Amino acid sequence: MESLYLLIPLSAALVLIIIAVFGWAVHRGQFEELDAEAERILTDETPGLDGHQSKISVRAEKS
Amino acid sequence: MPTDTAAAITTVLFDSAPHAHADAVLAVLDDPAEFGGCTRWLQSATGQPLAETTLALAGLHCAACSGLIEQALRSVGGVQQAVVSAASERATVVWNPAHTRPSALIAAVRAAGYDAVPDAAAPARALRQQAHRQALWRLFVAAFCAMQIMMLATPSYVAGPGELAPDMRQLLNWGSWLISLPVMAFSAGPFFRSAWVALRARRIGMDVPVALGVAITFVASTGATFAPESVFGHEVYFDSLTMFVSFLLGARYLELRARHRAAEALESSLARLPETAWRLGPDGQATVVSVQRLRPGDLLRVPLGQAFPADGVLEEGHTRADEALLTGESAPVDKPLGAAVVAGSTNLGAPVLMRVQRVGGDTRLQAIVSMMKSASAQRPASAMLADRWAAPFLWTVLLLAAASAAVWSLIDPTRAVWVAVAVLIVTCPCALSLAAPATLVAAARGLARRGVLLQRLDALERLAKVQQIFLDKTGTLTEDRLQLRGLKLTPAGQSVFEDDGAALARAASLAAWSSHPVARALVSAWPDTSAPGAAWQAVEEVAGSGLRALDTDDREWRLGAAGWVTEGRVAVAADPVDEPDRVDAADRADGAHRAHRADEADEADGTAAAELGESPLHLACDGRLMVSFQIEETLRPGTLEALQALREEGLQLTLLTGDAPARAQALAQRLQVADWHARVTPEDKLAVITRAQQAGRTVAMVGDGINDAPVLARADVSLAMGQGALVSRGQADAVITSNDLRDLLRARATALKAVRIVRQNMLWAASYNATCIPLAVLGWLPPWAAGLGMAVSSLLVIANAMRAAR
Repeated sequence: MESLYLLIPLSAALVLIIIAVFGWAVHRGQFEELDAEAERILTDETPGLDGHQSKISVRAEKS
Repeated sequence: MPTDTAAAITTVLFDSAPHAHADAVLAVLDDPAEFGGCTRWLQSATGQPLAETTLALAGLHCAACSGLIEQALRSVGGVQQAVVSAASERATVVWNPAHTRPSALIAAVRAAGYDAVPDAAAPARALRQQAHRQALWRLFVAAFCAMQIMMLATPSYVAGPGELAPDMRQLLNWGSWLISLPVMAFSAGPFFRSAWVALRARRIGMDVPVALGVAITFVASTGATFAPESVFGHEVYFDSLTMFVSFLLGARYLELRARHRAAEALESSLARLPETAWRLGPDGQATVVSVQRLRPGDLLRVPLGQAFPADGVLEEGHTRADEALLTGESAPVDKPLGAAVVAGSTNLGAPVLMRVQRVGGDTRLQAIVSMMKSASAQRPASAMLADRWAAPFLWTVLLLAAASAAVWSLIDPTRAVWVAVAVLIVTCPCALSLAAPATLVAAARGLARRGVLLQRLDALERLAKVQQIFLDKTGTLTEDRLQLRGLKLTPAGQSVFEDDGAALARAASLAAWSSHPVARALVSAWPDTSAPGAAWQAVEEVAGSGLRALDTDDREWRLGAAGWVTEGRVAVAADPVDEPDRVDAADRADGAHRAHRADEADEADGTAAAELGESPLHLACDGRLMVSFQIEETLRPGTLEALQALREEGLQLTLLTGDAPARAQALAQRLQVADWHARVTPEDKLAVITRAQQAGRTVAMVGDGINDAPVLARADVSLAMGQGALVSRGQADAVITSNDLRDLLRARATALKAVRIVRQNMLWAASYNATCIPLAVLGWLPPWAAGLGMAVSSLLVIANAMRAAR
């Protein structure tokens, strides 16, 4: 039971941290357009995940 | 009228292609007076001024569209940044005023195949977004902390006597206290603030007992945590406290969302292209300007079918104006040379020139709006259900606490403070303060699903008590247009026409020459105007009487009022039009007004009533009556059964209209409404409603036009049609977006149900308090029972409230 003396203050601190993280997320507007991120993959002009790699490979060929 | 301006009318109104006009309207957007409302000024990194403009978009159908629009906007030179939100259909564009203009942005969006208008509501939306984020965060903090505290509180509920070591209990209490700090300091902030505001204004709302209960509970629990042997005892209530705060915040969050949704629905109609006017310069050159730039004395050209942009007088031309929005009169009003025209009415007859007399805040339109504002200040003060209980409740609780403390100080002075605190804690009005808002929010959500947007929640309570309903006619019971009810061929007509269809085709092809509402009803009944008999010559419209024309066999046909069509063949029209092509509206109306200027003033009033309404329209050939048409106003679907059902519920129905008595009576008979007032001005409507209120009746008003706005503001509960004018929708307690009166019935049923549920909730909360207070006063209430009772009563109230949504 002695572990509770560490765990309860720890959980209290964790609660405060989670609240802060949630506040940051809310004020960044992350809960306003819940569908937008899921649909972003459908848009054409978003650079692909490996979009930058082609440039690197071009540069590698030149060198 | 100088000849050069006459020429200018022709150039601008008839020769210019539609897209040229659209471009001119777009150019008005570049006037800072127009785009300033949706634009924020920024400073770029290099110190240049940048503008951030919000545009409302249309035509988006999928998420990929937002990418296309962003691309189109970014390709405009001078645009620094463009972000499109598909969900809210808005684009935020940062642009450099040195390199581009707002009209270029909109043109780019249009070129991409979508449409955009400046978003006038952008500042309001930003405020709402801020409020929503703050409310969501508050709710999260309260609910999340409440969950954690519940976990820490569980041991003290489940542990048997002596199982929980005192130091462990102390540790759990200390943890609960720490986690409840953010709830008290941040989440419960609004309750403390509004209680403070209420106290400073010397009135007691429901927030006062809530704030008092929350504060006392927290102080007592804090005392019990840090000084267990003090007067506060050793019981803590952090779990019930935080749960109560998160329930209350949850109800408020849902209420906020409902309010915001209603505001958004209203604002979607606010976003539109700027209103423009054609202003004639001294050289007779017409330019398109924003209506905000108009000054008294300006000479304006008002094309056919457009609204008069300001109050003024007719300088040239003769027309008819549809003033239905302002007066409720559905028949167009005749406007001869020199007549006064009112801003917001529509020009139906012919293109005219007008001289501006009043603009902006001075216009009749604005006068009605300000009348509405003063009427809404006089709205009978009806407090929220729960607020009425707040003051007596608070005093009873305080008195009980003080009395029990006094009695206990005689019996056992060490327990006196503890008992007083216990009384205050168990009476913390959780269930009582949740009873009304939770139910009303649930009811509003249920109504929104069915097409009734509630803008003020307390309207539900008044809607349940309504005894008399005032109904506007045009736009509320009826649609704005007329319809053909039936037609009858005379024996002469039967010999000419094969069947009803042929007669209708002949009449409709003639009626297509007029923009009169009756003529339009005929045309819409027979949309195929290319049918045989369409070749007419010398078409002439006689104001207040009808149309006459010659067919290919040189027979004169007349379509119009009963007496006039059979007058027989009179002299050839004063202003014959030779070519059989369609003449333009200006020539027709001019011809009409030259021929009949003398008698038209008295005619316009009398015949308008006879000609519309239920009275027939006739078609005659060379003075022989051929066909009689029955024209009636188009009732909105469902109106008849909705009124029938309302009557069966014992409500008194009254028809209020600015229309002529004959038409009002005809409609009242059709709807079986015994009580009707015709030709009433907005002032008269206000007086009628005030009289009913003074007689002690709770009245509801259903309307749609600008002229209804003052009455909507005055009535106990007001409902506006979704198609109605913006100002009346903004004023109403609820908007019937479906335009179906049957939804009024549903709203009333929901209101009755909600009020019943609120009563049940109140009764439950009161009986909970009535049971607990004596126990607390006697010092017999175990703390766990008090906490459990608070939680269960709140949960029961919320569960019961949810029924209102169904």
